[in-house]
Amino acid sequence: MSSRRDFLAQGGGVMVAALAGTPTQAARRTPMIDCHAHAGHAPALTDPWTTIADPEEILRRNREAGIDQSVIFPISNDTFEKANQEIAGICRKFAGHFIGYAKHDPETEKGRIRAMLIRECNELGLRGLKLHVHPGPEVLDTVAELGIPVIYHPARVALIEEISRDYPTVDFILAHLGADMSYDWREHLAAIEMARRHQNVYLDTGAVVLTRYIEQAVHELGAEKIIFGSDEPEVDCRLEIFKIRMLELPKLQEEKILGGNLQRLLGKYRGKAA
Amino acid sequence: MTVIDAHALAGKGISWAEPQREVNYDPAELVERSIAAGIDRVCIVSPRSADYPAANQYISNVCSRQPERLIGIAVHHPQREAGRIRQMLDAEVKSLGLRAVRSDGHPTRELLDAASELQIPVIYYPNRKRGAGPGRWYHMIASTYPHVRFILPHLGEYCSETWWGHMEALDLVRRYPNIYLDTGGIGSLKYLELAAKELPPERILFASFAPELDMRVGVESIRLLHLSPERHAAIMGENMLKLLRNS
Ligand SMILES: [Zn+2]
Repeated sequence: MSSRRDFLAQGGGVMVAALAGTPTQAARRTPMIDCHAHAGHAPALTDPWTTIADPEEILRRNREAGIDQSVIFPISNDTFEKANQEIAGICRKFAGHFIGYAKHDPETEKGRIRAMLIRECNELGLRGLKLHVHPGPEVLDTVAELGIPVIYHPARVALIEEISRDYPTVDFILAHLGADMSYDWREHLAAIEMARRHQNVYLDTGAVVLTRYIEQAVHELGAEKIIFGSDEPEVDCRLEIFKIRMLELPKLQEEKILGGNLQRLLGKYRGKAA
Repeated sequence: MTVIDAHALAGKGISWAEPQREVNYDPAELVERSIAAGIDRVCIVSPRSADYPAANQYISNVCSRQPERLIGIAVHHPQREAGRIRQMLDAEVKSLGLRAVRSDGHPTRELLDAASELQIPVIYYPNRKRGAGPGRWYHMIASTYPHVRFILPHLGEYCSETWWGHMEALDLVRRYPNIYLDTGGIGSLKYLELAAKELPPERILFASFAPELDMRVGVESIRLLHLSPERHAAIMGENMLKLLRNS
């Protein structure tokens, strides 16, 4: 059985200091974590996100923005076994700078996801799941057992309603405050409503152009439900973190959004006997 | 350094951005925020309206109360107002002091002839199907009216809805010396970085698209380019100042 300690041993860096016991005053600082970034290769070559996402580019901007770690997961592939291995490799190569998540497609990989995901968490050290395609019980039962968060970018916000109700122990992070690049402001409002009604739904702030909805979300839901993200390397984390900073929140609230909340969710990892 | 926001909004109407909604942008608040953001002057334009003569008159009134802070831009609908645009625009520039025109719809010869005579820039964001870039909508107008200076807002693609919309905008600027890009409402900063790296610096104009979007984000987007002080000053205001001076 994999434990939190294993994760910390391989995670290194700030997460270790922040999660392990008896930290010094300096180490007790909440790390700044970007909850949404992509890395690795894809075969299709039709868009940036079906071609390549360079982790070193992310690290360069992270340094300037003061971000300690980024959650990374694959860009768009048809199936994800190889892409997830690449993510694990990037996490090993840049130890301490990245937290790896798996990505899966519940349609193209149907029936094989449970075994893959258990292995990816237990053996490769991945600690969450990114979804674009709507998940069924195979995926959701597995993430519930593993105790990992799901970052979900659904076609419509409404798709998260039933799964968040049926799986109350699974933490769902709704990407882009419900609307990638604020393509429809009504989806931002739907996302805020969804997070209000479900204790296990959180909102990621990445790639939101209509920043007044970030402000509205923080004020209506409280900082506890908001998680800083960027969508690197397509979206610049330096500007995305500025959008949080300009809210001029009390320090404790800002720390929750910039890392504390995600850190708490990642601490629920249980792992699972294969 | 004079900082000029090349594209902001004031007054009542329907949002330029889709999905449309009713908006009412308060110019007093806009001025307050611009001062806080270190912006010296703001170019304001009406949201979509069923009555542009009234909307333009409102913009002019607001500007005349704070001429050191605000620069007014007219809007016209080239199809709906066909036949009357030349006369209206002439009065709006010469009597009301407006300094540019935004075209709500594909510009016609009438609108472009008027802009050419008055020597004012034309702001035009092509309304198009989701997924289509701005390229097609600019080739004919930019080549037929080489003396009209066009401002394509949002680096060609509001909220970076497609990445190729930005790439098409960059290519338009490379091809036509009379096309300028404004920087308001960009979701994916890397295309602005590309523009700053690849295009003549005088063709990029700082804009916020406030109060629909936050002015501070607009200013920060340019700061993050880490340009030389000269280039930074050019984009932040000098370029727009030159464009307006010629008018
Ligand atoms: Zn993403």
